[in-house]
Amino acid sequence: MKKLNLILLSVGAVFALTGCNDGPTGEKITYAKSAQEVYDQSCKKCHGANGEGNTKKKAPALNDRQAGELELDLYDVKNGGTNQSSGTEHDIMEHNMKKLIDKGYDYDPKSMAEYIEKNFYNKEETSATEAAPTEEAPATTEATSETTAPAEETPAATETPATEEAPAKN
Amino acid sequence: MDKKTMKDSMDLIDAHFKNEGISRRDAIKLFGVGGATALMATGATTEVKASSATAKIVIIGGGLAGMSTAARFTNSLDNPDITVIEPGDIATSYQPGQTLVGGGIWEKEALVYNTDDFVPSGVTIIKEKAVEFDPDKNTVTTASGKKVGYDYLVVAAGLKLDFAKIEGLGITETITSTGDHKAVSKVVGKNGITSIYFQEGSKDTWTQMQKFIEDAKSGKKVKGIFTHPNTPIKCGGAPKKIMYLTDARLREAGARENAELTFYPNGSKMFGVAEYHNAIQRQFETRDMKWNYRHNLVGIDTEKKIATFDRHWKEKGAYDEDLEEFSIIPRSEKIETPFDFIHITPPMKAAEEIGSSPIGSSKGWVPVDKETLQHVKYKNVFALGDIAAVPMGKTGGSARKQYKVVVDNVIAMMEGKSELPSKYAGYTVCPLITSIGTVMLAEFNWTKKPTPSFPLDPTQERWIWWLLKVYALKPMTQYGMLSGRA
Repeated sequence: MKKLNLILLSVGAVFALTGCNDGPTGEKITYAKSAQEVYDQSCKKCHGANGEGNTKKKAPALNDRQAGELELDLYDVKNGGTNQSSGTEHDIMEHNMKKLIDKGYDYDPKSMAEYIEKNFYNKEETSATEAAPTEEAPATTEATSETTAPAEETPAATETPATEEAPAKN
Repeated sequence: MDKKTMKDSMDLIDAHFKNEGISRRDAIKLFGVGGATALMATGATTEVKASSATAKIVIIGGGLAGMSTAARFTNSLDNPDITVIEPGDIATSYQPGQTLVGGGIWEKEALVYNTDDFVPSGVTIIKEKAVEFDPDKNTVTTASGKKVGYDYLVVAAGLKLDFAKIEGLGITETITSTGDHKAVSKVVGKNGITSIYFQEGSKDTWTQMQKFIEDAKSGKKVKGIFTHPNTPIKCGGAPKKIMYLTDARLREAGARENAELTFYPNGSKMFGVAEYHNAIQRQFETRDMKWNYRHNLVGIDTEKKIATFDRHWKEKGAYDEDLEEFSIIPRSEKIETPFDFIHITPPMKAAEEIGSSPIGSSKGWVPVDKETLQHVKYKNVFALGDIAAVPMGKTGGSARKQYKVVVDNVIAMMEGKSELPSKYAGYTVCPLITSIGTVMLAEFNWTKKPTPSFPLDPTQERWIWWLLKVYALKPMTQYGMLSGRA
């Protein structure tokens, strides 16, 4: 009894011990461009000069949230979802972001969120912009009204750059 | 435990370590770094410094996260003034065990903790629901209209299971895992329709699973399906764990070949960490467990036993000048799948009264700085556990890291410090049960790399982690976390 307990306790103890001093870990990533440069050269084209969004391009406003909240969305976009198998809340942008990263427009979500809040955050507009469509809302209706491809076309048959393999490439 | 059981256990441990090529002595050395005494002494726990600062602290929620926070504040302050607002009698219950109950390994009774038994001495408990939040005036109002003022508010209210989003179940209410479940258990837990995500449902899951296995054993070809929704969920691994356990129980009964088991997640991967994703896909293949990515459960015909999924994919659209790439068009269709047994992981969300309050957000979750856990707008409000809008954070293992961060940071503010000293790094642990007797201990953080606590390949299924999951984690939460020590 004692020995088995000892083993279990030890496992528990070490498990409890480890990570107690784990500050934010991982190697520091450096980015080629500053948040401002990435915004001006890329984000701006769809999300607008002041982060106001663009309904036509289905680009949601970015100026209606404070940095803390925005950072979590940017994190989701860059990581393709943050739950094991829930998927992402930003299906389209996740795909676009991969392409943009390939083109050198990578950024630190925290700095980007802070840059957007500092320069564009519009408290008054919060309620006004609520009407602006989010990425998801039009997505499903779009899917049924879109006529570019026959409905029976399977995902495998399309030329869509595959995103399913994403985790393996991470 | 008598001597014979002890000897048998030790022999088992020996045999296991031999299989892994480690002697028991080495194993004890390996795991004994801190030694058993460390858990008891302060060594395994973070040193708690007493602070003489005073402030009125109100904690919303008396689950694992809320009650551990209350305990640690009590230990850390000379003159604590702490109030916990929690309406549930058994809210503090051990939720990680629900998977084990669903798989017939534990009895439901092992999970039930009476909240009253875990209220630290000196802490005031208000057994009501907090329904209104006025962070500008620093007050919370309870269901009976009682106004409670605070200097610091800690939100640890957990989350709601939203079975109402699934059409055909006839459910209109959201429930919590340990609260009143009648609205859901009138349909879920019967007729092959199950969910371990609420305590009562975990017991019913085992009953239904046994029927399913009986059918398979009798020679009937049966289908089991396991879902994962499009919302963040608590314990991201449980939808798969219950599937692994079903597989194990079928094998045990010698009836595996008569059952087809398929996982239907909304997402397109098994795990956000590539190493674990690959390991899980291999484990699925070895067990002949199937999967269909990008399927979100939207409806169930409980009579005909047919599940309806929203199957979605992306197609190449027109060339986008701004993106300098082809755009992507999301597409979807409804597909129907018959089943004999279904495990539902319901959509989850923050309680409406919090999500739509000033401390909530457009998605409901309480938005906090993901490292300091301080509210993004209200500096004297913190959140942790399931309700916090923190990436990957909805597990007991995350809460175990988070509650110390919250306590450290609140006390620093109480002492007038300008810097918040403590930061959460996103640590999460998923002890992924892969069979009866094996667990893959998937530890990771926001770096999206495995962050193993032990010098062992973290992608291997091991019996020692089964021991951790089945025997050690419950006492660790009960005596470590809920006492505010570890």
